[in-house]
Amino acid sequence: MTAAGGTISLLVGAVLLRLTLTGAYTRYVRPGMAPWLVIAGIVAATLGAVTVIRVLRRLPSVVGDGHHDDGQTARAGWLLLAPIAALLLVAPPALGSYGVGRGATVDVRAGAPVFDPLPADARAVPMSLLEYAQRAAEADGASFNGATVELTGFVAGPDTDGFRLARYQIACCAADAAPVVVRVVGVHGDLPPRDEWVTVTGRFDPAGEQLPMLVAIGVTPIPQPDDPYE
Amino acid sequence: MARAAGERLGAVEGQDGGPAGVRVSSGGARRDVGVLVVVAVVGAAAALRPLLQDLLATPAVAHWATIFVSIAVQAFPFLILGVSISAAVAAFVRPAILARVLPRRPALAVPVAAAAGAALPGCECGSVPIAGRLVASGVAPAAALAFLLSAPAINPVVLVATAVAFPGRPEMVVARLLASLLAATVVGLIWSRIGRDALVERARRRAAPEGSRLTVLIATAQHDLLHAGGFLIVGAATAATLQTVVPRSVLDHVAGSGLVAVLAMAALAVAMSICSEADAFVALSLTQFSLAARLTFLVVGPMVDVKLVALQAGTFGRAFAVRFAPLAFLVAVASSVLIGWWLL
Repeated sequence: MTAAGGTISLLVGAVLLRLTLTGAYTRYVRPGMAPWLVIAGIVAATLGAVTVIRVLRRLPSVVGDGHHDDGQTARAGWLLLAPIAALLLVAPPALGSYGVGRGATVDVRAGAPVFDPLPADARAVPMSLLEYAQRAAEADGASFNGATVELTGFVAGPDTDGFRLARYQIACCAADAAPVVVRVVGVHGDLPPRDEWVTVTGRFDPAGEQLPMLVAIGVTPIPQPDDPYE
Repeated sequence: MARAAGERLGAVEGQDGGPAGVRVSSGGARRDVGVLVVVAVVGAAAALRPLLQDLLATPAVAHWATIFVSIAVQAFPFLILGVSISAAVAAFVRPAILARVLPRRPALAVPVAAAAGAALPGCECGSVPIAGRLVASGVAPAAALAFLLSAPAINPVVLVATAVAFPGRPEMVVARLLASLLAATVVGLIWSRIGRDALVERARRRAAPEGSRLTVLIATAQHDLLHAGGFLIVGAATAATLQTVVPRSVLDHVAGSGLVAVLAMAALAVAMSICSEADAFVALSLTQFSLAARLTFLVVGPMVDVKLVALQAGTFGRAFAVRFAPLAFLVAVASSVLIGWWLL
């Protein structure tokens, strides 16, 4: 692992920087990770570049010249090529409807704040699915006050008289994602296809039992948001 | 997005085609083959791109790939931090000083090292290379291992995250701190009694490379990064597989607060391999379990999970990992049950 190791390290850094600069990293981690990913990318790329240069100039660059390394250690670094190859070519998508219902859902009652009533006459109030579910759980949704709200998520699948709208909450990375699901009813015409991103306007309906329910006024397909998670 | 990735591939291939070409023309030592292999792998992946895209059209595969990449991407900055500290220790701290700072008697050195874990911000990926470096520098393995176990669980960043996740329940933070410290200390003391140094021989043999400080710094960092990074990939792939194959909803069958629930939470922590900075938020969402069972999740996760065991196997050797992981698991579960029974 000398010139090859340096090249792999350089590639790791390049992939991290590319993920961050193209914005694709928000499919995997919180947006707040960006500066750390950039720093990590620069360190890995610089380290790799310096190693390659030192090998080319025949400066010492090998720890103990490999005699202390058994094969397992030396081979391990090659595994880094797997995510590099995958990410350079096809970056996996943000989590979609497949994981909804497979993982634990967010518990909206845990630490939910107390909400002020929404103004009833204003235009549609945009809010996260989490806030919608929390308001719905609090006093049977009294704080909605009849207001129109606007939710953005992806279609997790059909449901009676409508579809399920979902969005994942992530704390750190997509490995800890948990979905919030809202049941959208009163949809006229064709249902949007599974995994399509939509903005739904509508009003709260207290009839939802397992899931908070929304009676749709309008459903608009949109491109996937920059941050697909909440 | 995927198309843009393909268009940029040419540039990347050009990038490493350069050094490869130079090396081959300058005489072709054995190690030059490696660079060619790197280029060949990236090139082959490019040729197989349509196949990769077809695979990702399958929802289960896409789900797996997203979680795999997420764990790797999320862990990398912490790994870089750990590797940088490890390399700095190798380059700038004389081994004799480290050995002198810690008390000589294990009964004292182990708790001191466990408490010192509070000084390392970050999550578990960073602490493995540092513990490996400590052993290589002559620190007693039991003390280095106590540090390895405690650092990801008791540093301020993780404790603040726990407090944020459980507002109005400060006893959760206290319980996590105490249970993790206790488990790390007990494992360290047990290891000082029955652990054999031969088991950490791989870490020991990593005597610091010779040369100028700059050479040591660069060579150590490069070596540790590739080495730990490779094992991180094994761990991330395992965790993603477990998460995709076993839906978390199976947990609903064992919900509650009994011993079965505690063991289920411990098993979940091992399988999920999430960062110790995020695990409190996941524990928050597992409301079908008692607080004490969720404490087990928070204590076991930073000490034993599939990603971490892969990293430990890489740093200390496989023989070490198959003994150390079960020991740490049992002690962590027992410690969390004890503290949970007392405080929660």
